[in-house]
Amino acid sequence: MSTDGPATASALLRPFDLRGRRLRNRIVMGPHETNLAYRRAISRRHVAYYTRRTRGGVGLVVAESASVHPYDWPYERAPLAADCEAGWRAVADACHGDGALVLAGLSHAGSQGSSAYSQRELWAPSSVADVASREVPKEMEPEDIDAVIGGFAASAALALDCGLDGVEINAGQHSLIRQYLSGLTNLREDAYGERSRFAREVLSAVRAAAPGAVIGLRLSCEELAPWAGITPESAAEVVGSLAENLDYLAVVRGSAMATSATRPDGHTPAGFNLDLVGQLHAALRAAGSGIAVLAQGSIVDVGMAEAAVEDDVADLVEMTRALLADANLPNKIAAGESDRVRPCILCNQNCMVRDPRNPIVSCVADPRTGHEWDQPTVLDVPPVSRTVVVVGGGPAGLEAARVARTRGHTVRLVESTERLGGALRAAAVGAGRERLARLADWLERECARTGVGLQLGTQADAAGLRATGADVIIATGSLDGARTYVVHADAADAVHTARSVLQAIGAGTLSALPDGPVVVWDPVGGPIAVSVAEALAAAGRSVTLVTPDPIAGNELSRSGDLAPANSRLQAAGVSLVRRSVLLAVGPGRVSVENRFSGSREDLPASLVVDAGFRLPNEALWHSLDEDTLRAGDEVAPRTVYEALLEARAAVMELDGRPMPRPRPRGKPSRQAPPPATPPTPPTVPAAPTGPSGPPTVTVLEGAGR
Amino acid sequence: MTSSGSRYRHLFTPLEIGPVTTRNRIVFSAHLTNFAEDGLPSDQHVAYYEARAIGGTGLIITEEHSTHPSDWPYEKLIHGFHAEVIPGYRRITDAVHRHGTPIFAQINHNGGQASSMFSRMPVWSASPVADPLFREVAKGLTKREIAEVVAGYALVAGHCREGGFDGIELQCSHSSIVRAFLSPTTNKRTDTYGGSLEDRARLLREVIAAVREAIGRHMALGVRLCGDELMEGGTTIAEAVELGRMVEAGGQVDYINTSIGVATASLFMIEASMAVPPGYALYISSALRRAVSLPVIGVGRFKDPLQADRALAEGHCDLVGVVRGQIADPDFAAKARAGTTEEIRLCLSCNQECVGRMGLNRWLGCIENPRTGREAEALPSPRLPLGQRVVVIGAGPAGLQAAIDAARRGHRVEVYEREAAAGGQVRLAALVPNRAEFGDMVRNQLTECARYGVVVSYSQEPTLTDIDALDPDVVVVATGAEPTRPYWAPVEAAEGTPQVCDVRDVLTGTARPSGRVVVLDEVGFHQATSVAELLADRGCTVEVLTPGMVVGQDLGITLDMEHWWVRATAKGIAQTTDSVVMGVQPGGLSVLHHPTGAMRHVDADHVVIAGPQRPDDALYRALKSRGGRYELYRVGDCVAPRRAHAAVVDGHRVGVSL
Repeated sequence: MSTDGPATASALLRPFDLRGRRLRNRIVMGPHETNLAYRRAISRRHVAYYTRRTRGGVGLVVAESASVHPYDWPYERAPLAADCEAGWRAVADACHGDGALVLAGLSHAGSQGSSAYSQRELWAPSSVADVASREVPKEMEPEDIDAVIGGFAASAALALDCGLDGVEINAGQHSLIRQYLSGLTNLREDAYGERSRFAREVLSAVRAAAPGAVIGLRLSCEELAPWAGITPESAAEVVGSLAENLDYLAVVRGSAMATSATRPDGHTPAGFNLDLVGQLHAALRAAGSGIAVLAQGSIVDVGMAEAAVEDDVADLVEMTRALLADANLPNKIAAGESDRVRPCILCNQNCMVRDPRNPIVSCVADPRTGHEWDQPTVLDVPPVSRTVVVVGGGPAGLEAARVARTRGHTVRLVESTERLGGALRAAAVGAGRERLARLADWLERECARTGVGLQLGTQADAAGLRATGADVIIATGSLDGARTYVVHADAADAVHTARSVLQAIGAGTLSALPDGPVVVWDPVGGPIAVSVAEALAAAGRSVTLVTPDPIAGNELSRSGDLAPANSRLQAAGVSLVRRSVLLAVGPGRVSVENRFSGSREDLPASLVVDAGFRLPNEALWHSLDEDTLRAGDEVAPRTVYEALLEARAAVMELDGRPMPRPRPRGKPSRQAPPPATPPTPPTVPAAPTGPSGPPTVTVLEGAGR
Repeated sequence: MTSSGSRYRHLFTPLEIGPVTTRNRIVFSAHLTNFAEDGLPSDQHVAYYEARAIGGTGLIITEEHSTHPSDWPYEKLIHGFHAEVIPGYRRITDAVHRHGTPIFAQINHNGGQASSMFSRMPVWSASPVADPLFREVAKGLTKREIAEVVAGYALVAGHCREGGFDGIELQCSHSSIVRAFLSPTTNKRTDTYGGSLEDRARLLREVIAAVREAIGRHMALGVRLCGDELMEGGTTIAEAVELGRMVEAGGQVDYINTSIGVATASLFMIEASMAVPPGYALYISSALRRAVSLPVIGVGRFKDPLQADRALAEGHCDLVGVVRGQIADPDFAAKARAGTTEEIRLCLSCNQECVGRMGLNRWLGCIENPRTGREAEALPSPRLPLGQRVVVIGAGPAGLQAAIDAARRGHRVEVYEREAAAGGQVRLAALVPNRAEFGDMVRNQLTECARYGVVVSYSQEPTLTDIDALDPDVVVVATGAEPTRPYWAPVEAAEGTPQVCDVRDVLTGTARPSGRVVVLDEVGFHQATSVAELLADRGCTVEVLTPGMVVGQDLGITLDMEHWWVRATAKGIAQTTDSVVMGVQPGGLSVLHHPTGAMRHVDADHVVIAGPQRPDDALYRALKSRGGRYELYRVGDCVAPRRAHAAVVDGHRVGVSL
């Protein structure tokens, strides 16, 4: 990590002016999907979510993009500008009170929308089927074009009227404006075949409707489809032609043909867009344009963000995911504590929510993210100070120890191995997953810094734990799962778990495992098997991945890595044997069966990597009282997200403050507020209580259809 | 009504289920709807169930109500364990009771067949086994937690009693913690809740006892059992029968419902599409009925009253679950009873908007009934005076639906179709193997047209002048879409290069591909796969090629994917993914494997394209640019080429707006 100089020296903290409004610093929380909306309205949950960041010091928040036309309903909880009045007002009031500026994100997804919720046809410049959904949109008629332009203008006027500082118009991923700008999707022969015309008309209508508003444009400046798509050169030209109505440009990349390029996970290097940003910035300066430039693209490290401003690559830096991981990032910089920022590990596991199940935005590093309204903070200090022993130094144990210590308890952490970090350390060895280690490092550092007593290489037992008289939290992780296939006696040495293979790679002892062809058996479909296969292929091994699914890494769609993972695997020469199960392991070979034809084949394999499900390591817990607190894989082997969440819940339980049980998201007013220091709710007048049923607040949440 | 009732004598005989009497044997059995809002029953639930009660169904069993906060597998679940549900229950039961229909509540805990996404709690099950779909290792329950689960069932049963339900059904069959305890695949316990069937059924017995205590003797109690899990090492029919006997012997239960498969492993056999023969699961109720004297409900693609009546007559079951049949036509029972069977809007078992939308967390609908799932929304008030002359151009699903709804609102409607038959692409789609039932949509729409006096004329393509001469008040253009030809496909094949045609050419018989055929799937639904099967059946060597990661990428949502794979392998159809056609060349195609950038040659004598279509909107544009003294609309594929449901929705929207 960077060693920061005096706090005020950070370039990120220099104020910046946009259309006469002063940003207190250069750190921006960009527009992103949260699924926090109530129906199509910005909700109280949004307010709590944004204000946690404005309180943490962020300079500018761009609220979740709202559709400017009712037929545009790209995901179920996509805000609709016409339904956002109360929500925008509440967000503006709350965030302004914290000293931040707020813009409304405005969007129309065009052919990248969904007809499932609106039950209407999609609109686009031309009848070009979307690459992902394959739905053919309607070629917009003149009255449709007028309606959308009018929608942008009316929405901007409404945003300004609600007290927001302006708008950011989406011409990036999932946007109709980009579809007009791109030769991939605009094949029109009328006046709008001049591809920047639509964008120009939108911006001038917005400027006319909302004079005085900050107007930003989020533009894909690189569609990664040079044969017809937007290129950095054409983007610079377009921006030049739009300049009179623009205050800033947010430089992004990607198109319908490369949706995962816009906000990729850690397989793409952090700051991947900085060259593009610099290129656009330079082109604009060369053309004498004073438009501010905002850098986006996996910028999650303070040092990288500071350098972008210091080196004049960009004026503003979007650090959305970093702010999900640590809402107090700007304040920590200001306090000279950049090294204490809880890291974003670019896993995309819980923050990517474009998924039909409508998951709520959250973060593996901070599970309270997205749950500001219904989950209490763990930062209050309980009246009773206890002595706590945490057994297990994986992510659950570390988080439990850290939180318990932060809450004023005396904490000792007992770990059976000589290393802290548990499964997280092993996972971080996987290809493209290196950043996972940063979270383990951070947990370890924070435990050390706060004074958690660490006892490594020590096996805890029930008698010893009872003898301490301390409160105990068990976080002993997982065990290898049962094999679902036959292993012949003379092939027993061939089978190793993904965990042990990752540890061997990490320790540099891969050569101790059997040489020759490898079969990775993956009944899970998560990131582990894919990353092991890639790591082994990179180590020069011949690898075959066997999966019961039709696609390798079947569960990776939410993080956006599904298509990229399959491309990387094939490009690395990994053979994919799909829709098949592992039946048996023999000497030098395995037998697999196709699930649908029943046909069997043998594959050469001297090393078989079992990436199957694991089992809870619960023997110690079973030897203790049934009330003993527990967390993480020891309860049921899952991910680091659940580990951290349950670790916090265990500590709160210890303090007699159990986490509230889950409730449906809809109307937070139905729930009792969290017991300690909840974010101050915005002042929203309560609606009258209906004749039957519990009281409801309809002003914020009920403005929908 | 006895004379009409006699047509289906068995179906319209009342039956006692414990303290409840049903007027007939038709059951609107439990199914998810995604109508819940904020975890509570909604007005849409009320309107939805009431419509089926009005339609004369014998018994309604609602969708599941969750019994415990650890159970939240999908977003729009009814959280029965909160007392706030009771007023909503009351609204539902009052509405249904007004029509003399009994209604039971299904209560359930999905166990490990769930995700922690919404609950943010570990999923609870018998043992730490990961579910095949959700892939989350469950927390094996302690005895204290088991007691909490049992108490949850009793609590929710009490809520249901207060909410006015006539009975409770325990779903122990295809997605349930009780199933998890019953099945050796998920119960690895070594305590008194695992091992023998007697012990694996301990939780079931405890739940039955607790629920019976909560509801007393004035409500019916049923258990839904899985007759065959279709899993290696899972429950089979023999064990299900033994379990049925055990349930009956306990003396607390009034009826047994049946089921097949496991929702998170073999949903394609639970809500089987048209690829599976009707009545495929009847052997389960049949075996149980022979073993017990309790009434038994049979399920599994019961589509028409005759088939249902015969199942009763032959003694396979005492009641018949007709779910999709009543999703498509709420008046299924009334029409059967009245003897107007042919007016029933037959379910297609296409699964597109019912099952398909459930998996995607959307409200339940129906491909051919645009009101399904929208019962609580009032139709717009009539805007035009009665008796307007409405001219519809095109008798595909969009045009016919516009005609039906316009005529139902009292307008004079005529439809002109350029082909000699109605149905457009739906008619073509039904020509291929395993898809014949899709064609019932056309039959259903024409039946409704006849019922409302719509005049359909065939082989007519009115010109602008013809349309003027009709002097219409409203013109609805529904001229559909036409295939596009990829840029690389030559119109005339050069010597030695493959012939290129569209799937539609194959279906109409315009093209007769033979030899080595490559079917290009750029749409991801039935178009490519069904034509591939047709050609394989005709003896062609077939390879389906797609730029996507999976051939037929959307077949999964309608539960057709597994069936396709089984049949495709059996028919020797090759499937090639991640591949983009770059051009034709002698003997085949030049194909790019996009993940690696490798080019290769693919042998082909013929290439069949299932690609995006273009709207056939010439008539609409001509009418629009000329203007007229009539209102002009366009609907369906001539707006944007989409699937049949979109066409029906478009047609409905315009039809009811007049």
